[in-house]
Amino acid sequence: MITIFGVPSVVLFGQLLLGLINGAFYAMLSLGLAVIFGMMNIVNFAHGALYMMGALGAWILLEYFGIGYWWALVLAPLGVGIFGIVIERTMLRPLYKLDHLYGMLLTFGLSLIIQGVFRDWFGSSGQPYAIPAALSGGTNLGFMFLPTYRAWVIVASLVVCLGTWFVIERTKLGSYLRAATENAPLVQAFGIDVPRMVMLTFGAGVALAALAGVLAAPIYQVNPLMGADVIIVVFAVVVIGGMGSIMGAIVTGFLVGLVEGLTRAFYPQGSSTVVFVMMAIVLLLRPAGLFGSKPEAAGGVHVSLDAPAPAFRTEILLFLGMAALLIIGPAFVYSGFLMKAMLFALFACAFNLIAGYGRLVSFGHAMFLGTAGYVCGHAAKVWGLTPELAILTGTLSATVLGVVTGWLAIRSRGIYFAMVTLALAQMIYFVALQAPFTGGEDGLQNIPRGKLFGLFDLNDHTLLYGFVLVVFLGGFLLIAQVVRSPFGQVLKAIREHEPRAQSLGYSTDHYKLAAFTLSATLAGLAGATKAVVLQLASLTDVHWGMSGEVLLMTFLGGVGTLYGPVAGAFIVIAMQNYLASLGQWVTVIHGAIFVVCVLAFRRGLVGELIAFLGRSRKPATPAKTPQAAPEAG
Amino acid sequence: MAEMLKVNGLKAWYGESQALHGTSFEVNSGEVVTLLGRNGAGKSTTLRSIMGLVAKRAGSIRYDEKELVGAPSHRIARAGIALCPEERGIFSSLNVRENLLLPPAIRPGGMTVDQIFELFPNLKERLTSQGTKLSGGEQQMLAIGRILRTGARLLMLDEPTEGLAPVIIEQIAATVKTLKTLGFTILLVEQNVTFAAGLADRHYVMELGRVVDEIPGPAFADRIDSLKTYLGV
Ligand SMILES: Nc1ncnc2c1ncn2[C@@H]1O[C@H](COP(=O)(O)OP(=O)(O)OP(=O)(O)O)[C@@H](O)[C@H]1O
Ligand SMILES: [Mg+2]
Repeated sequence: MITIFGVPSVVLFGQLLLGLINGAFYAMLSLGLAVIFGMMNIVNFAHGALYMMGALGAWILLEYFGIGYWWALVLAPLGVGIFGIVIERTMLRPLYKLDHLYGMLLTFGLSLIIQGVFRDWFGSSGQPYAIPAALSGGTNLGFMFLPTYRAWVIVASLVVCLGTWFVIERTKLGSYLRAATENAPLVQAFGIDVPRMVMLTFGAGVALAALAGVLAAPIYQVNPLMGADVIIVVFAVVVIGGMGSIMGAIVTGFLVGLVEGLTRAFYPQGSSTVVFVMMAIVLLLRPAGLFGSKPEAAGGVHVSLDAPAPAFRTEILLFLGMAALLIIGPAFVYSGFLMKAMLFALFACAFNLIAGYGRLVSFGHAMFLGTAGYVCGHAAKVWGLTPELAILTGTLSATVLGVVTGWLAIRSRGIYFAMVTLALAQMIYFVALQAPFTGGEDGLQNIPRGKLFGLFDLNDHTLLYGFVLVVFLGGFLLIAQVVRSPFGQVLKAIREHEPRAQSLGYSTDHYKLAAFTLSATLAGLAGATKAVVLQLASLTDVHWGMSGEVLLMTFLGGVGTLYGPVAGAFIVIAMQNYLASLGQWVTVIHGAIFVVCVLAFRRGLVGELIAFLGRSRKPATPAKTPQAAPEAG
Repeated sequence: MAEMLKVNGLKAWYGESQALHGTSFEVNSGEVVTLLGRNGAGKSTTLRSIMGLVAKRAGSIRYDEKELVGAPSHRIARAGIALCPEERGIFSSLNVRENLLLPPAIRPGGMTVDQIFELFPNLKERLTSQGTKLSGGEQQMLAIGRILRTGARLLMLDEPTEGLAPVIIEQIAATVKTLKTLGFTILLVEQNVTFAAGLADRHYVMELGRVVDEIPGPAFADRIDSLKTYLGV
């Protein structure tokens, strides 16, 4: 048997082939993302869910209608394309003029809805889809066995990718698309119906995802979550390649697939994280990406969601009111619920510190919550530290992680920042999944609560509650102070106009990194305390779903307001507690809240309330419209 | 002469701030008409509003008996109006040929590509260059050339001589004359008074978002002093 660096050549070629196959799907998906982003400035988070709809669509066509693979290759993309067009017309169109993050939030909500609905219908187990007869079997190439279907997928995806490239770069239609990417109003002023072109482009990009899904159906198990993790890898691919070029998306897709394959052959443990490591290296060396030319857009029209801060006295009254409610709370509500809600509220407030006041919307904040939980649990359980020291250790681990990831991520901004943080968090997730001390799927269980300072036994529920209350109120006060401090003011100045803040002599990157690290630390404090309270540290807390939840809490309550994240956290946790019987529909409801918030409630509940109070107090001045219609051009 | 474009009480806003406060003028078929005025008077905004590029506008824009003030810009283009914008709007991701062929033909009667090359021979040499790699003068020629193919009858040129060398300005003046003899109607925005004087049948003077005066072409020399006051030169 021939071996290459100790790996049998058959294994090596097999892994390379698998890498090429994965790369084919990355290429098709990132291509669609790039085309959509170029035209509409929307990072389509639902791309993974639509890919899944393609695969599941093929399965449904076969299972319920007896329609086979070849027709599915046409029908599923067509159906999903039409679905995409409906979404574009009804939901995305109002967003083009807003900050690009809203598009990402809305499509994130859509992906939760789609995945939730399909999970409710089909469960989360995989369904096999048979390889069509004409493509079964394989060829022995001498050095390896090549299954026909896999060869077909590579050829088909290459044809699709290069065909798309040809249409965009070499045809008349493509020249319209490229021109509209640069200056859509002018293209429309030449007599081209740009809104319709945008609609059809979105439909085509989404159909491409569905086509990839059909091609994938016979290779992977068809299941409602198959797109959820793929999309995060595809985001990393997009960051590696840069959004600027079509060919870049294709090449990077295949490249990343091959690198993954090679890693799987030589160092299997690293195969799921290598793409994120690649991303980090590219960010360090070429922040615009390997093929990136388009400068990172800071976002569309800036939307200030700032609500006027209430007077100092009102603030003190509000804070005392909240504290009083929480002190008497256990007399009326289950204290376990209140503790959980307070810790999530702290998590959301920490997130809000950078998302609301620093305008760096992280899609990966779960990594701080989860990591701190694991480290704290390990410290308490294995090292036998007292709870305050274990929590301190956990919190500091989040600080360190915050410095490192923040240092990488603040090189990018806007939607790129969102994608980078998401990808880094996914890397942490895989580390947590594989590392020896995290307990894998089970997590760390039965973490001892111990005696606080060696004196107060936290197994006493009243003491535990008091402890959580102090942690929450302390963290909240700290954040309120920071926001009001000169540091917070500089942060806001950077958010409003970074170049101006720079010209005033502020090293904006240092401020952003400091804010990011502080936010990570407080998220870690919440996570570490949570591990002690629930006596559990698990994968849920590092999963992207958790990052989505904190986004949801903050946006629902009101980003950039002090009490918004608290209100949002209590609502979301209450929903989870009391609607748990609805199963998958809770996810669907979360998604629907995202969609409604982005379309109608961008200030969130508390933000809208403050705006309403401000309006009714001064009826003379017209309410400042948060989104003045920007002019074409 | 048949009236082609009649703008009446046109108002336009950028967000909350109003840039046009009731602009009125008309252009007859086959005429060359200029809009003169200081920086910020609203000349470009007038052209952009006619083209439908300013989202918020009110008043009346009648073209060929059709009301266009509420129409989306692609509909306005299809009615037969074309704009050569102040910033020229050459696409960097398109080569010269693609830039030239970008605007779709909206009705028969446009110039052929060969006729355009006769007007602007330089373009023919540079067909495969990236659009924005051309010199300023060549980019201006490309920006004018590409709207001649489409069959549009009313051409709106926004400061076509801005920042160009005298020889090129002469070439553009000659082009405008040729276009007039070919039957195009031209609405020209200019700061270069001598350039405008040699070409136009009539002039309108704009101030603070309104047309404040009309000067017939023949009277231009007599009115040059009051014009200098208007333009502040
Ligand atoms: N995109 C825009 N957003 C906001 N205000 C604008 C915008 N474009 C122009 N304005 C304002 O509208 C007014 C008219 O501008 P316009 O560009 O029409 O003037 P102009 O006569 O073409 O001037 P110039 O000779 O400098 O080109 C000015 O006060 C200008 O500041
Ligand atoms: Mg102008």
